[in-house]
Amino acid sequence: MDFSAVTAVLASKSYDKVADVCDNLMLQVAADGVAYQDEWPYAIHLLAHIYVHDINSARFLWKSIPSSIKETQPEVPAVWKIGQKLWLRDNAGVHQAIRAFDCSPQLQPLLAAFSELYTKEMFQLLLSAYSTISISDAALFLGMNEDDATNYVLQQGWTVDPASQMLIVKKQPVVTEQKLDPSKLQRLTEYVFHLEH
Amino acid sequence: MDGDDETSGPMIDEIYANGDDGDKRSRRAIMSADHLDIEAYAGLYGGRTKIMRLLFIADKMNNPTTQLEALRMAYDEIKKGENTQLFREVVQKIDGRLGPAYAMDTAWCESVDRRAEQKKEKLDNELNAYRTNLIKESIRMGYNDFGDFYYAHGQLGEAFKSYVRTRDYCTTSKHIIHMCMSAILVSIEMGQFPHVTSYVSKAEQAPEALDPITVAKLRCAAGLANLEAKKYKLAARKFLETGPELGCHYNEVIASQDVATYGGLCALATFDRAELKSKVIDNSNFRNFLELVPEVRELINDFYSSHYASCLEYLGNLKANLLLDIHLHDHVETLYDHIRHKALIQYTHPFVSVDLNMMANAFKTTVAGLEKELEALITDNQIQARIDSHNKILYARHADQRNATFQRVLETGRGFDRDVRSMLLRSNLIKHEYNVRALRKL
Amino acid sequence: MDPLEALVTQIQGLSSTPSDVTRLHTILKQSDDSLRSDSTRLSPLLSQLDPSLHSLGFLFILDASTAGPVSKTQAENVVPIVTRFIGACSAEQIRLAPEKFISVCKRLKDQVLLLEAPIRGVAPMFTALRKLQVSTEHLTPLHSEFLLLCLLAKCYKTGLSVLDDDVFEVDQPRDLFLYCYYGGMICIGQKCFQKALDLLHNVVTAPMSTINAIAVEAYKKYMLVSLIRHGQFSTSLPKYSSSVAQRNLKNFCQPYVELANSYGTGKIAELEAYVKTNAEKFEFDSNLGLVKQVVSSMYKRNIQRLTQTYLTLSLQDIANTVQLNSPKEAEMHVLQMIQDGEIYATINQKDGMVRFLEDPEQYKTCEMIEHIDSSIQRIMALSRKLTTMDEQISCDQLYLSKAGRERQRYDFDDFDVPQKFNI
Repeated sequence: MDFSAVTAVLASKSYDKVADVCDNLMLQVAADGVAYQDEWPYAIHLLAHIYVHDINSARFLWKSIPSSIKETQPEVPAVWKIGQKLWLRDNAGVHQAIRAFDCSPQLQPLLAAFSELYTKEMFQLLLSAYSTISISDAALFLGMNEDDATNYVLQQGWTVDPASQMLIVKKQPVVTEQKLDPSKLQRLTEYVFHLEH
Repeated sequence: MDGDDETSGPMIDEIYANGDDGDKRSRRAIMSADHLDIEAYAGLYGGRTKIMRLLFIADKMNNPTTQLEALRMAYDEIKKGENTQLFREVVQKIDGRLGPAYAMDTAWCESVDRRAEQKKEKLDNELNAYRTNLIKESIRMGYNDFGDFYYAHGQLGEAFKSYVRTRDYCTTSKHIIHMCMSAILVSIEMGQFPHVTSYVSKAEQAPEALDPITVAKLRCAAGLANLEAKKYKLAARKFLETGPELGCHYNEVIASQDVATYGGLCALATFDRAELKSKVIDNSNFRNFLELVPEVRELINDFYSSHYASCLEYLGNLKANLLLDIHLHDHVETLYDHIRHKALIQYTHPFVSVDLNMMANAFKTTVAGLEKELEALITDNQIQARIDSHNKILYARHADQRNATFQRVLETGRGFDRDVRSMLLRSNLIKHEYNVRALRKL
Repeated sequence: MDPLEALVTQIQGLSSTPSDVTRLHTILKQSDDSLRSDSTRLSPLLSQLDPSLHSLGFLFILDASTAGPVSKTQAENVVPIVTRFIGACSAEQIRLAPEKFISVCKRLKDQVLLLEAPIRGVAPMFTALRKLQVSTEHLTPLHSEFLLLCLLAKCYKTGLSVLDDDVFEVDQPRDLFLYCYYGGMICIGQKCFQKALDLLHNVVTAPMSTINAIAVEAYKKYMLVSLIRHGQFSTSLPKYSSSVAQRNLKNFCQPYVELANSYGTGKIAELEAYVKTNAEKFEFDSNLGLVKQVVSSMYKRNIQRLTQTYLTLSLQDIANTVQLNSPKEAEMHVLQMIQDGEIYATINQKDGMVRFLEDPEQYKTCEMIEHIDSSIQRIMALSRKLTTMDEQISCDQLYLSKAGRERQRYDFDDFDVPQKFNI
């Protein structure tokens, strides 16, 4: 089987495209009648779905994996463990599952990228959803120990409330593009024309 | 949401004023709830309704003394008439609790029934004679007598039919109106309020001008019909239009006091402030009625001048008695809910922010209870505000027209998109099926 | 010369120009019966033909040779041939004999299912339907086969790609019913509930003269998805739905109607109890998973309701109102909803409070304007389509003759009226 497309997209670090490449390749080899299951890089494929938060697809893929493979390739259930935690929205659990996962060098860059992405997303979530939060909870969400988490958020301008020892979230102003290009005027003319005819 | 600093000063005064005022007023004599002067109440009515109202009270009353009192009066009243069926019922209800004087009087029943039988025969013969002679006026009278006879003996369905039959023999509009009034009376007793409405409008269509007393009676009947149909606003209008000429002329249906109570409560539950002022408070006609029930007059004035605590207290005190009213009974809870909601809405209306503690005080409730009430009203979109449960403040919420419009436009667009697409699909399916059928025919 | 040999020669000779292919088509139709009687000798002939050049002939022979029942081992041989043919064949040629092409493709589906490898059929079936359809608005009988394979092979995401097309042209009502039903299931799997609702809506409201099983199953799912997506369900169908559907559908789905009623009360404990006692029925319909999502959507619905009424509310109060066990659980629910963009709020852990915010969307950004713009474009295109359709129908001969007949009848009635008054 020719996995060059997968390797290429992994090498180019376009991790968000890995899932699509894998999906298409899988359908292709299946249509060609190749018995692909034993060689298929299920761990990468699963993690690629997880990377783009397509947890539904990850779940369906997991369901379609033959049980012999789940038993012989320990990486596959290890990746699914992450997916499961995401499915359950167990934020701290996701970090734990990532940390507990002793993965192969092939998978390592993708996993590291996901871990980084996930931490960033969790930070954004904390930013949007909290006005004050305990240090221990923030640490769980960010998957760090309390000191690291405190340092991380302090760098983003947050402060610690001395009385309650809680973190006070500093909201970031949202910058949005509001400029319009003149072609919109043309469009408007078309709309009016449409309405009158 | 930042305007609360400016408003809080005067607002606090106003709210305290509400509370204080309420306390002061409550010391005045307010009709007590646990005691109803049945004798005085029954004195307002005559005819069958008096008996029915007494029996209704006896049914709803938990207090055995008052219950027996009502039954005793009903017994006495029935004995004056000729309705033996009702007599048997009331005797059964008394069940010997009032001693031998109020026991079963078989002799009376039998003699009444015998006389009734004879009278019926006589009426029958008379009517047959009139009919063979084809004298219109006599036939009308004959049917009318039958109607009166059946009514007196409690056969309401037959009475209604007889009255309605006079219609074909009416020669003047006076006759028509007489027929309508009889039909209305029986229909009210039967609880057939759709009939009431239709005969009221028939009577009002009479070509001759009606005398003021009849007009007033018709308004009351229409008011009752609307009340039963839960059209409270229409009911309020009808009662408010009732002229003072009514007096005690319609005591076989309604007392002037009832006009004040029914009309006042329905108006309170459904009118906005301006209507309340122009159609109730400034209505000199209706004021005459309100004078008869000062509690209702006071609570309307309290409501209008935003003394909600006092208003609600009056309502609370009246409630037990209103629940004993044959017509209002089923509607008391609904009307009360409406009035309370309106009070809550009206209270919050002018403010940018309202302190829930003070408001709860004004409405004699707890903050938690008030939160629940407000929650329901906000969910129902009756109050445009949101509750700051942390600081116990209600903030008015001004919908952003621009954003709401955008939201609606996009939603409408999505809906249109969906509907048109599925419509095109359906029309294609129909076209397909039609073609298939056409092919099959070929 | 053997007639089959002769046929092969003709196929080879008459496959280049369109007029030749039309002639070949006639010849093939005539020899169809003899092909079928010789079905055992056909497979070797296929090797003499090039599927991309001689597509029509290849198709006829392939169809005839695969018509009989096949064993697992035979299927193992046939599947690659069909797959290769679908990949290589010329769209123009196979569209001349769509029913043959469809039957070959359906057999491919049957065979991959026989081999217990539905995934092998996914890609070929997709290619096949794209080759068969004249435009993306055209719904082919292969659409539903493709979606079924996607469901069985658990390639839900692949299925979505077809569902993005707006279809209007339908050959057979049954195709549409199945397409929408399977499509609905795929969208449910991918949690695209609105899209699922639209598809299932099409099934439920489609014109039908008798109730069919697809409509009943679709209606069950429609109810559940409607509760998940909108938090409400009205058992009365729109008035354009067929009268059989309006009268009968809900009678087949009583447990679901009751579920919707129970949902309407907003009481989570009641709903859970109802689901528990009726779990078997839902399980039997394989809807239990969806029913469980309905239950959990009620927490969301109740929290959402609170955002309409409260500016701030303690986590404890939320937990009490929504019937969650602890403030922490309430916090997690609120957090999830913020994450999914279902509410706008900030949690204040210090005071144990939640502050609900208004939707920050100001409808000013370029992105939003792009979005509005594209919506207008889409709707304009749609309304143009509507006008075209209207014109087409009003010029359609069958329609006119029917409408004309009805007009006549009305005229007759009009003529009748004065007579009545003459009496």
